[in-house]
Amino acid sequence: MLQTKPFWELFYNYVVRYHERILNLTWQHIMISAIALGITLVVCIPLGIYLTKKEKLTPYVIGLANVFQTIPSLALLGFLIFIFGIGNDNAICALFLYAMLPVLQNTYTGIRSVPQSFVQAARGMGMTEMQILMKVQLPLALPVILAGVRVATVWIIGTATLAAAIGGGGLGRLIFSGLASIRNEVVLAGALPATLLALAADQGLKIFQASLDPKNRAAKLAKRRELEA
Amino acid sequence: MVRFDHVTKIYEGENKAVDDLSLEIQEGELVVFIGPSGCGKTTSLKMVNRLESVTSGSIYVNGRDINKVNPVKLRRDIGYVIQSIGLLPHMSVADNIGIVPKLLGWPAKKIQNRVDELMEMAKLPPAKYRWRLPDQLSGGQKQRVGVLRALAADPPVILMDEPFGALDPISRNVLQEELVELQKKVQKTIIFVTHDMDEALKMADRVVLMRQGRIEQLGTPAELQNSPATEFVRNFIGEDRLAQLSPEDPVEGLYREPWLLVSPKERPGDVLEKLEDLGGDTAQMLDPRTGKWLGMIHMPLLKKTLRSGGELKEALRKNRKLYVEDANLRDVATLLADQDIPIPILREDETFLGIITSSDMARLAIGRLGRNAKGGA
Repeated sequence: MLQTKPFWELFYNYVVRYHERILNLTWQHIMISAIALGITLVVCIPLGIYLTKKEKLTPYVIGLANVFQTIPSLALLGFLIFIFGIGNDNAICALFLYAMLPVLQNTYTGIRSVPQSFVQAARGMGMTEMQILMKVQLPLALPVILAGVRVATVWIIGTATLAAAIGGGGLGRLIFSGLASIRNEVVLAGALPATLLALAADQGLKIFQASLDPKNRAAKLAKRRELEA
Repeated sequence: MVRFDHVTKIYEGENKAVDDLSLEIQEGELVVFIGPSGCGKTTSLKMVNRLESVTSGSIYVNGRDINKVNPVKLRRDIGYVIQSIGLLPHMSVADNIGIVPKLLGWPAKKIQNRVDELMEMAKLPPAKYRWRLPDQLSGGQKQRVGVLRALAADPPVILMDEPFGALDPISRNVLQEELVELQKKVQKTIIFVTHDMDEALKMADRVVLMRQGRIEQLGTPAELQNSPATEFVRNFIGEDRLAQLSPEDPVEGLYREPWLLVSPKERPGDVLEKLEDLGGDTAQMLDPRTGKWLGMIHMPLLKKTLRSGGELKEALRKNRKLYVEDANLRDVATLLADQDIPIPILREDETFLGIITSSDMARLAIGRLGRNAKGGA
């Protein structure tokens, strides 16, 4: 059949007509991504810290995360159907496995790269191991850890579109149904918000990262206190 | 204040890093540990605040066995200045100085006052430097902050691990002088590790020269320079530092035990007999109660007194003596050239310290002759 209307008009009409559905799916997409990211952070940051204390385990744990990383994401989702069946649980679990590596690796590397002299000085002054971690190692490693979180976030938001392939929600629904019905305007209606989400999250975290950089923070603190005084 | 009692440290599968170290450090003393790499000086220091464990023996700080004190608590009571400064880069100068008081739970106001007081003392105006980050300071300023941080909670003992090692020679010199000045003011017990002999000689009350985990020589800088105990010490101090002796140098460290000490009650005949047995020709008479010097007995005069049947007191010579506070090597040499008998060295309050003989001076001169020959070759 001959396409009678130009593409952009079709897209515009679709968005106007189905904006509620798009928003709804975007919200689902955000929720899936947020939950997956949350699990990743809660598991991988403490695990990364733990690995700095148990060096022997490190190659195995990071190696395992690396394996998950190298499995193509669609295949990983397929595997997990055997465990979780179809739906969002499966997708979230796959996203978590997929995003483990950058967070784990950067937490481990970030803490390891804090110069030993700082740790020695802190210990010599009478900080407990917990205080050394909270007051010295984590603040100094934060920029590196956040860089890992940024990578993981973008990956998760991007890969979350595949959740639709195994019966989950999110913007992937639009993309897959658009592909199936050869309607490019529907594909774009799903792809565009997903891309924007990923870019926005990346930029947001970048700004957050800059503001949390220990040196920036200390400089700001200094300025504020100077004004108070 | 700090006592090492037969302390040995063995790292797994290695030789003894510290081997049966016994040493007592007095309150207010600045003791410098020095020696070649791997001699155990840093290990000895780190055992004091339990950054390293002791394999056998014990260390007492302020009378307490450190192994019976919680290490975290112990470290908060001991100042610590580290090799590479170790100022935390994400904290302001004030926060860095206030770390230990904060760990000890001081109220914020008290910490701030203490920080300001310390910064004033080190000539870092708080208004200007308080909120700076370590990266915004010069190397010398950073190191000063490092020292202030160790002083913050007013610990009686401070450990310093090559604190000035990374500085340029000029700042290092300034800081060494500042630390000596500061030490006079605050009277802390300081254990200082360095590999720089000039630094050790300049700052130390006593120097502990270590080699392969053992003390090679322990003494004041003057003692080390004037009478190195072994060839190793001589080499380690360096010929040119030994050669830095000038006629204006003090006699401190040069004097030694006299052959014979007598009390005023002894009979001249007995003293003569003792002297002949010892093969010496002079004796020093001290007040047995106070240790004050009463005079020197010289063989010819003693014999004369004996012949005339006089008392021991009549054989005393009182005019030949030097005071350690103001005498220099030139005075000693002049007196010895005039008459070749030992010179008693006294403190200004007449307390007897020891004697200097012509052979002591000759030994100094030999050292210098040797070096000149080398210098010419």
